[in-house]
Amino acid sequence: MNAKASLGIDPEELASCVACGLCLPHCPTFRVTGEEWASPRGRISAMRQIQDQGAAIDQAFLSSMDSCVQCRGCEPACPSGVPFGSMMEATQAALARERRIDWRRWGFRVLGYRRLLNLLSRVLAVVQRLRLVPSKRLGLPKIPLRQDRLRASGDDVWLFTGCVMDAWQRSTHAAVKRVVESAGVGVALPGSGAACCGALSLHAGLEDHARALAARTMGALAGSAPILVDSSGCGAVLKEYGMLVGTAEAEEFSERVMDVHEWLATRLDMLPPAGEQDQEATVAVHDPCHLRHVQRAHQSVAEVLARYATAVALDDDGLCCGAGGAYAAMQPELAASIRERKLEAIGRSGADIVASANPGCTIHLANAGVTVLHPLEIVDEMLGEILDQAADDDR
Amino acid sequence: MKLLKASRRDSLLRDLRRVLPPDRVRVAPLERSIMGRDASIFEGGQAGPVCFPISTEEVQGCVDAARRHGRAVVPRGAGTGLAGGAVPLEEPVVVVTTKMNRLLSVDADQAVAWVQPGMINLDLSRALAPYGLHFAPDPSSQQVCSLGGNVGTNAGGPHCLALGVTSAHVLAVEVVLMSGEAVVLGDPDGCAPGLDLRGAYVGSEGMLGITTAIAVRLTPNPPAVQTLLLAFDSVDEAAQTVSAVIADGIVPAAIEMMDKNIIWAVENFVGAGFPLDAAAVVIVEVDGLPGGVAAEADRVAELALERGGRVRRAADDHERALIWKGRKSAFGAIAQIKPNYYLHDTVVPRTRLAEVMSRVYEIVEEHDLQVMNVFHAGDGNLHPLLLYDRREPGTLERVHAAGSAIIEASLAVGGVLSGEHGIGIEKRDFMPLMFSEADLDAQARLRRAFDPDEMANPGKVLPTGASCADVNTLGKIPEGVWG
Amino acid sequence: MIGGKTRAALESFAAEVGSDSPVAVVGGRTHWDLGGHCLEETRLVRAPAGIREFDPADMTIRVGAGTPVEELDAALAEAGQQANLPLVPGATVGGVLAVGRDDVHALGRGRLRDALLEAVYVADDGRLVKAGGPTVKNVSGFDLCRLLVGSLGTLGLVGEVILRTWPRPAAQLWMAGQCDPAELRRKLYWPSSILWDGQTSWVHLEGHESDIESEAEQARLLGCDSTDGPPPLPAYRVPATALESERFPGRYLVQVGTGVAYVSEHGPLPDPDPAVVALHQRLKWQFDPRGRLNPGRDPLAAI
Repeated sequence: MNAKASLGIDPEELASCVACGLCLPHCPTFRVTGEEWASPRGRISAMRQIQDQGAAIDQAFLSSMDSCVQCRGCEPACPSGVPFGSMMEATQAALARERRIDWRRWGFRVLGYRRLLNLLSRVLAVVQRLRLVPSKRLGLPKIPLRQDRLRASGDDVWLFTGCVMDAWQRSTHAAVKRVVESAGVGVALPGSGAACCGALSLHAGLEDHARALAARTMGALAGSAPILVDSSGCGAVLKEYGMLVGTAEAEEFSERVMDVHEWLATRLDMLPPAGEQDQEATVAVHDPCHLRHVQRAHQSVAEVLARYATAVALDDDGLCCGAGGAYAAMQPELAASIRERKLEAIGRSGADIVASANPGCTIHLANAGVTVLHPLEIVDEMLGEILDQAADDDR
Repeated sequence: MKLLKASRRDSLLRDLRRVLPPDRVRVAPLERSIMGRDASIFEGGQAGPVCFPISTEEVQGCVDAARRHGRAVVPRGAGTGLAGGAVPLEEPVVVVTTKMNRLLSVDADQAVAWVQPGMINLDLSRALAPYGLHFAPDPSSQQVCSLGGNVGTNAGGPHCLALGVTSAHVLAVEVVLMSGEAVVLGDPDGCAPGLDLRGAYVGSEGMLGITTAIAVRLTPNPPAVQTLLLAFDSVDEAAQTVSAVIADGIVPAAIEMMDKNIIWAVENFVGAGFPLDAAAVVIVEVDGLPGGVAAEADRVAELALERGGRVRRAADDHERALIWKGRKSAFGAIAQIKPNYYLHDTVVPRTRLAEVMSRVYEIVEEHDLQVMNVFHAGDGNLHPLLLYDRREPGTLERVHAAGSAIIEASLAVGGVLSGEHGIGIEKRDFMPLMFSEADLDAQARLRRAFDPDEMANPGKVLPTGASCADVNTLGKIPEGVWG
Repeated sequence: MIGGKTRAALESFAAEVGSDSPVAVVGGRTHWDLGGHCLEETRLVRAPAGIREFDPADMTIRVGAGTPVEELDAALAEAGQQANLPLVPGATVGGVLAVGRDDVHALGRGRLRDALLEAVYVADDGRLVKAGGPTVKNVSGFDLCRLLVGSLGTLGLVGEVILRTWPRPAAQLWMAGQCDPAELRRKLYWPSSILWDGQTSWVHLEGHESDIESEAEQARLLGCDSTDGPPPLPAYRVPATALESERFPGRYLVQVGTGVAYVSEHGPLPDPDPAVVALHQRLKWQFDPRGRLNPGRDPLAAI
């Protein structure tokens, strides 16, 4: 690949970086490499080389772009408000057009077909048990052989269930659903129409595919009920449908989307009170990037958790853990060194359980031997204990 | 001819790759062009091979290889310098120290730590928190700038008013000279006899050697701190209050000033609670033992009130942190107004602050530009920020003209060219405004004592012609560097 | 700005130094033999004396290098200020800077080398050279000022300096007692001086009255009591680390936290790194190739 190409980045956006470098320490790949090409400032400089100076796209450019986790930790750190995420998405879209054949073009398509995904997942689960795939190296969790079906309990709120999470971690959805129900609301489920939010496709530059998934998802989550999301990567993209699809309908849709913790944090008084055995568990709260840097709603996780456990913040300024959707599988070495820093921060926190509101982070951290639960799985367990205790007291 | 040049470069590369593994010597055109700039406005520098050593021995190896091939060497830390000090001219070997980022040792009793040059300033103070100690210099870029870079520029920061700049906090440096030798300058324990080579080295902008380790003096965290936010209806009242505080015999830990435009930009950006109706705010921080802190904070408040100021005292750590967040976010907040800014850095005697400030406003108006001021008022260290959009034709020329006028106005009242950013490329050609030929010749002699071949970071600080040595061809600034 | 009168004084000093023959500048002769004896045929000159410019609100002062430190201190005291120079009786400002020894209060007030903002000196070729600048913060060019402090006049003969000044502390107190100096340093927040002679510790407190009371209370708990002042300093300055490795038969006094010890007798000290010696030689060669400035004196031998 040696063609000259415009990356199709908005020139205003590309001009907005003043190269101050304040993003550098907030970039996980710069943190572990110390190399400018693996930093937001370096990547923008590289994009300018291609788009403004007419340099050819070469291997060095591809490495620079593909090494980006797209955590967007640089965005809140940027005093100039450079929209790095959208510049990277434009670049990835341009590269996807150039690459023509890419396994991701086909692979991510599966995510939109729930039955196919479930079938493949079951095959994978069997193969895993026969030890025919190197799960750790591929960054895979242990995939369940069988999963219980979720059933709707009303129509006050939607619970977005998504693709991989529904196929691999449906028990998390069940726990989230129970916690939401304990606040006295009925939960509706979208079925196979909202099979995938399109985040992975979008990050790989497959914008058309992402838009098609968005259209289907919006169709399946009709009405005006709030759409609660328990995977922060999905939530971030659902909230950006307005920009991605560019219609008034999509704008309205995005406004209905809330991270489930964000929704719960304003309804804490509706949840059952903490039990007497109170707050023995110390939980380190891992802030998923797309909750912290994109949705900027990470505080709500600690607020909800704090009602039932001792929630400890990590001292690493919310630096990415290296999971990044498909990143851990695509860039295993960088992902592992980035995770090392996170593991050190978890170690310093003294907690033995980690809460993560994003399935990708959960899988990536669990592969390093850490006990990771969804925050609401922890709450669900506490609520279970509280209810049991209440039942005991009644007796 | 071209072929010959290419093969020469290849043999330099071969030699560098004998010292470092291939993935730590980068030569792809894109990787080299990314290294062509730092945080200054100078674009178009061109790096040769980019090396990422992890030890003193590897740095020595890089220098040896460069010397054998007659190539200059440019050291680089995080690349946050604002004077172009790390911009490579004419394809030198660039030695990046970001991978040398470890804290080597801490002696809490002696209040000394050895660090590697790539360690980030703020990371050091965070690592020292358990000892109740910190590293005093805190440039606004402290979350990203490297300690090696701090040594190179003799960096300052808001809290250098009472405690002094980097030089006062560096006890010794391990340096790789351009001969390839590694030598320790200064004495981490205090006072070996001899010239203060350490002092001559700090602030030399990478032109005497490459820093490979630093012994820093650590400062105990103060038991008491009070932060005051003073708001004024005029810049003049604010400046006079600053002078009055100093004249009263108080040396606060920090005195920072921000004018109306920057207050608005910052409030938009971080919401630090700065008063939007003020023409200027002054942040004063006093620290130390509780008695002195209380007395000084009261006196500062009194002096501000007498000059028509409004006084707010930070009630707790949270409020204090918010005030400082507002101050430290200032430079970035500007981008909301114009995409580019040119940040100046001159120092004037503290008693001339009000006068020079009003001159700055005049100059900016004369050149039809916008300015924001946010600076270390207690030191008299001005930082006018000229806002512009580089895509508008003719603006950059106006920015440079206004910049020169500000420098001249500062020197006219007995000020200096730079308080903390350094000279680099930016002010190199202004040096004769402050120094005579004899003065510059003396600086060139210092340079030659360390680096007779002028191989370390050539083309910076000293204007061409300052040196009596053979004409140095490495030192020319190529066309297009003035971005 | 330098007034015409002080410029004239500097120019006549430069003329007196001239551009050939060995020459040395004399101050108060308090450390005349430090770092070697001045060669006999050397011509002696004196630097201009007197306070040139002092605006207390700037907290900087411009003085002739020949000004006695006591005169400087008296002038500053009138404005409630002080400079961080050792008050050696009879010594001159230029002299204490050339010698480069810290004041006894260096632990709290900082090092002497950081007190010098600007120096105008006569170079080996007789030209006047300015190093540094008049403001409290300055990174314009290489930092020649640091190099001049402690150079024993071997790189240039300093005629005039600008110094940073500080408020005189509101209150102060010397205390002494038989206690561990390291313990004193740990317990007290910012003592300006801790001295130790192997048995007794002296500590100097300064600042706001109420703070001194609370700090003095800490010192009392460790066994210290008020005293008149510090003991006299023994003659030779050596690195405190040398006390651990070398035998020092005489009296000694460690200046805690600054790495300095004063001893009344000394044996051979460890040789400096040859690379450091080479840098000294190259600097001397660059700044004074003919060796005419203060011949016979060597900063590396200044103990």
